[in-house]
Formats: sequence, structure tokens, C-alpha cells
Amino acid sequence: MNATEPDPNTRGRWASILSDIHFWVPVAVLMGGLLLLRFIR
Amino acid sequence: MPPVSPSQFAPAIPDASRSKKLQLLGILSGFAAGAWLGAAEAPTKLVSIGISPMVISLIMVIGVFLARWSLPALILGTSSVRADVRRAPHLIIWALLAGCLWAVANTLTIFAIRDIGLSIAFPLWNSNSLLGILWGFLFFNELRQAGWRRWTGVLGGALVMCAGAALLAVASSTAAPAAHSLRGVWAALGAGILWGTMYIPYRKAYLTGMNPLSFVTFFTFGELGMMATLAITYLGLAPLWRELTSARDVLFWLMLGGFVWVIGDVFQQYAAKYVGISRGIPLSNSNQLWGLLWGTLVFGELHGRGVSTYTQVIGGSVLMMIGVGAIAFSSAIGKEQMRWKDAAQRESQRYGVSAEYVEARMDGRQAAGELKPSRSALDWFVVAVATGVFTVFATMARAPRLSFHWGPAAVLSAATLALLLVCGLNLWRTTRFH
Repeated sequence: MNATEPDPNTRGRWASILSDIHFWVPVAVLMGGLLLLRFIR
Repeated sequence: MPPVSPSQFAPAIPDASRSKKLQLLGILSGFAAGAWLGAAEAPTKLVSIGISPMVISLIMVIGVFLARWSLPALILGTSSVRADVRRAPHLIIWALLAGCLWAVANTLTIFAIRDIGLSIAFPLWNSNSLLGILWGFLFFNELRQAGWRRWTGVLGGALVMCAGAALLAVASSTAAPAAHSLRGVWAALGAGILWGTMYIPYRKAYLTGMNPLSFVTFFTFGELGMMATLAITYLGLAPLWRELTSARDVLFWLMLGGFVWVIGDVFQQYAAKYVGISRGIPLSNSNQLWGLLWGTLVFGELHGRGVSTYTQVIGGSVLMMIGVGAIAFSSAIGKEQMRWKDAAQRESQRYGVSAEYVEARMDGRQAAGELKPSRSALDWFVVAVATGVFTVFATMARAPRLSFHWGPAAVLSAATLALLLVCGLNLWRTTRFH
């Protein structure tokens, strides 16, 4: 496959996303933000 | 699929004059972002006339949603957005995530403004710049091999800005309602952490080559979805509807605030793209000064306070400006930019995105074989719908009964528009908005 095209393997793409720390750090901060909002409201 | 080999990434030294031009463009974008983001906070003053923070945030986000689709459609066309997404579909996840972070942070800022005031809340949530430096260094090779002078400029500048913010926070002890001041401080700091982290998706998208105008169109689904969920969960559908109908006189102003915010955010995205988040965030955080100008000159926020409060607020603002200046004079040079390319290469390899596309977009130009952006009937339809919605709400609008000084408002508006014109023209001439 030409390297200029994105990987068509959806499962592989999800695996890359879910093993990427760039994904989990924002997710954790978002959860914290929702808890804070619940607390201060 | 075979990974992109390192050799596919041109190891050549970047064109120095082009690189310098893009750095200056990023810095200019940061300043324009500051002016527009600062102006956008002014409508949230309406919270003082008894509208729920959730409703204010939701309506602002609806204005944001309209702007985030109509501006890209008007500037580049939705075909360009579709082409970007085909190249890097994984970034939709990060755009949605960033949108959710934005919505929660924006709601927190409205609680903060209500509890400790606009002039004080601003510097507290603007502490997000320190977090941006940390994330930029850890995840995207920013400030690597930058040399002690640039480290001092960026980190020292950010710390001076925080000292200025702290000085302003001290002023809050006399300015804030005692019963809720701690809650307001937590809300503002929480918003800062959320916004500081929101720049991880931004930087990831731009290192991968996505156009800022494409990124924001998906970003907005995250923010509208999250904001609608929050409003319905916390208020309930029927009470939410009642609040919306009872506040219909001021809905337009809030939507307008959202629209103005988007213009600032688009400039912020270009700043994040061309100077990185470690520099782009502090620069756009000059919105604190614009917010202070709007708060004090237009809304009379600190009217009648003692001399010491004014001294603290002015001193804190001067410190923040010194910090901004230090960062603006610490732009990235050759070795650091090569490390940025290493980070971009990681993204290219991990997600199988064309190396040529990534490099061209980092250089602010179209990739080879990429079609020239064009507008279709769909784009004009999107623009017409957004304009129509704004027009309908404008016909229902009434000027809110607030202390409002028109003279300073006109001067600040003119300065903000001038920055839009100068920065927009430079972006067009240098990058064609890529």
C-alpha cells in the first residue's frame, strides 16, 4: 500500500489510538474537570 | 502497511527565511488571538443579571458551532475539510476530545467569573501556559535543544506571567464575594488545567499536517455535544427550555460572544501550529490584558476600589506583559525545529500519514497533488444558515441593562478589528490559511 494513504485497518487504527499517551492524558483531565464541575456546582 | 521510513522525511535544513517568516506569523497570530479571546469574554458579564452559567455556556457554544462551520466554509470550503479528514481520520477523536475539554473549561470559567470577577478569573485560568510548556516539552519535542537563552525566555516569561497572575489573585481577596471566592478560584484553576491539556490535541493535529480550519469543524461537535449533555443533566430539559425562552432577549449577545471567541481561537490554532504550544499559549494568554481592559474600562469592574487594588492589578498586568514579551523574543530556531520534525515523524509513522503531506503542511503550504481549495453550493448554504440564525436572534435582542461605556468599547473594538485585518492578510499571503 502507498504510504501516502492512511491505514485502512480500522482495528489497527483504534489500537494505535488506545495505546497513545496523547489520548489518555486529555481523557484523564476531562474526567477530572467533570468531577470538579459537579463539586463546585 | 509499511511504516514511513525516516528517509522519507526530508532531513534537509529548513529554508531559514521561510522558517523565520512562519515564526513571526505564529507570534502575530498569538497576539491577534489574545485580542479576540479577551473580547469574547465580555458577554459572559451577563451572568450578573441572573442567567444560569450552564445556559450562558450552552448558548455561547451554539454561536461557536455556527462560527466553526461557517468560517472554514467561507475561507477554504468544506471540500478542503473532507480532504484533510481522509488523510488523517484518527484526528477526529482528538478533535472531539478537545471540544469536550473546551466545553467543560468554558463552563468553569463562567462559574469563576460569577464568583471572583472577570479581571481576577482571567489570570488564574491563564496559568494553563505552564501546563502547555510541560506538554509541549514532554510530548512534542518543543524546547528540545533550544539553548538556555530560549529556555529562559519561555519558562522565565511564563513564570513572570504567573507571578503577575498571583498578584491579581491577591487583589481578589478584596474584590471577590467572600462566600464563593474559594470556589471561584478552583473553577478558574480547573479551567486552566483543562485548557492547557486541550492543546495536546491541537499540537498533535498540526504536527500531523491538518489544517486548523479543518480541525475546528470536528472539534465543535465535541464542545456542543458535551455542553448540551451538561446543560440537560444539570438543569433538566424543561427547566433548560424555560431558561432559554426567558433569556431570549440576550441570547444573541451570548452567541455573538461565541462567534468572537472562534475568531480568537482560529488565530490561536495558527499560533499553536507555527510557534508550538509552549509559546503559542502564553502569547494568546495576552487575552488577560484585553479582558482587563474590557472589564475595567467598558464594564467598570474595579470602579470605586482602593488604590492598593489598582496597584496590584496594574502591577500584575505589567508583569504578564513582560512575560509575553520574553516569550515572543524566544522563537524556535534550526535545531529545535528539527526536533519538531522528529515529533511529526512519530505521528506520520504511527498513523500512516504521508510524510510529504505532513512536511508540506508544517511548512504552511499545500502538498504536491493536493487540489486547490474551492467553495461549493454547500459552503454557501452553510454560511447562509449561520447568518440566518444570527439574524433571527438579533431581531429578538435587547441591550442588557448593565453599566457599559461606549467610548472605550469603540476604541477596543477598532484595535481588535485592526489585528484581525493585519494577521488575516499575513496568513493569507504566507500560507493561504494552511
